[in-house]
Amino acid sequence: MNLMNDVLIVGSGLGGLECGALLAQRGLRVLVLEGSNQPGGCMQSFRRGGMHFDTGLHYVGGLAPGQSMHRAFAQLGLLELPWQRMDEDFDHVIIGGRHFAFHQGYDAFVEGLAQDFPHQREALQCFVRRLQNTTTADMEVCAYDYLAQTFSDELLLNVVSAAAMKTELRRESLPLFNFAHTCSSYIESSWRLKGDGNLLVNKLLDTIREAGGEVLTNSRVVRLVETDGRVTAAVCADGRSYEAGHFISDVHPAVLSQMLEDCPSVRKAFRRRMSSAENTCGMFTVQLIIKPGAMRYFAHNVFVYDKPNVWTMTEENSPVKGVMLSARVPEDGSDMLRQVDILTPMPWHECQRWDDTKVGRRGDAYKAYCTEKAGECIAMAGQYLTGLSEMVEQCYTSTPLTYRDYLGTPQGGAFGIRKDWRTPLLSFHSVTTPLPNLLLTGQSIVLPGIEGVTMTAFETCSKII
Amino acid sequence: MTREEIIAEINAELAEEFEIDEAAITPDAPIYQTLELDSLSLVDLIGIVQTKYGVLISKAELPTIKTFAQLYDYIEQHQK
Repeated sequence: MNLMNDVLIVGSGLGGLECGALLAQRGLRVLVLEGSNQPGGCMQSFRRGGMHFDTGLHYVGGLAPGQSMHRAFAQLGLLELPWQRMDEDFDHVIIGGRHFAFHQGYDAFVEGLAQDFPHQREALQCFVRRLQNTTTADMEVCAYDYLAQTFSDELLLNVVSAAAMKTELRRESLPLFNFAHTCSSYIESSWRLKGDGNLLVNKLLDTIREAGGEVLTNSRVVRLVETDGRVTAAVCADGRSYEAGHFISDVHPAVLSQMLEDCPSVRKAFRRRMSSAENTCGMFTVQLIIKPGAMRYFAHNVFVYDKPNVWTMTEENSPVKGVMLSARVPEDGSDMLRQVDILTPMPWHECQRWDDTKVGRRGDAYKAYCTEKAGECIAMAGQYLTGLSEMVEQCYTSTPLTYRDYLGTPQGGAFGIRKDWRTPLLSFHSVTTPLPNLLLTGQSIVLPGIEGVTMTAFETCSKII
Repeated sequence: MTREEIIAEINAELAEEFEIDEAAITPDAPIYQTLELDSLSLVDLIGIVQTKYGVLISKAELPTIKTFAQLYDYIEQHQK
């Protein structure tokens, strides 16, 4: 048994590391236990073909002074990172060959789209007002129904939703609360990191370590020990055991549920609710190395759809019907890029047939499937990046299986547990648990994405400090 | 499902999930005290009813369910 820690955090995704940094800044002794060999969860980057690729970080919104993420990132020390403001027209949308742009700033956003949809100017103004005044009451409002009531032009409804590939666009279930948070901070201002996601991870790790905390990798927690109604220790798969005063779970609730099986205060009903929640869809990602000098850097994202089916595409996306393109900021100061990511939603059932396989051993059929899917993504991206397929030097792919195996996320869900406006009490979780010193954080609790996870981390820490 | 079938099934389920003696569940027994519900475990109860019967207890109607008999009534009236 080790010396007592004030707080033990299970999992080192963005939420876990943000909680660790916030608590360490307040003088608490923090220990973070990460099951894999690399901290960071969805924020981690990895190296292939001599280049760093990101897992989940593409852009961040609301970092300018007075905006939604500024204060939180300042407190976490993350504003010091080399953020680069994206183009004024930060998101481009192509639907059925027609091109639209989202501009930074709510007024500019309205003006930009009102040029294409002059008859919907008032509706656009109502829309941005609602985005700026979202409350938790919007957890019980259907996002799609709200948009259908606001916009009489169905194409515009699809256009304003097109960049929300950062969440699971599901017509029957997505709450307006989640949709609004997926859009609003990016309209305030949009930023890319010059460098990989590990910059962000390392900054949070430094904050924890400088305050005397520790982050241990290859430390998979399998069991939490309860004594007299409180968690007293976390036990790792190899038998190591760590004590603490408070515990925070930054792992998927279904994974936590297994750790709680021997805790008498946690009844089956709670464990079942945590383990049976539906997961969101995953993503299929194509990561390209572009031949030197072949493509100019573009400081905006592009969302390409073959038709206005933005809200139904996730249900059936084979062949690929929509993609997001994101370019990596050139680190050598040049205006020519070397890396482009293409993402498209992928429901679990599309890769379920390889459920029992592991990374690198999924067989030829899986490889062929990924190659075909990547070809479809590149062809669709080619609607914006003319001649893309000839510029590709290397192509790497990942599926929800990859996310599942590297990040421990059941079914490789990209946005954690699915939220449903019809069942807000069941799908939005409290950060508290039946054990008073065990708290929850991470993307499954309230909101996914960098903004959602950060907001939740502050809420989690408010229960301790 | 008949009311009797609902009663037999939900009683067994609640006893199992909330780890209490099924004999303590009677129609007039107070549901909150018997199942030792707090704001968190109340959500677990809603989850069980939803998963088992496809019946969603709304926030507005929650306060009207105080006894097991009232829970049976609610499920019976709302099940599809």
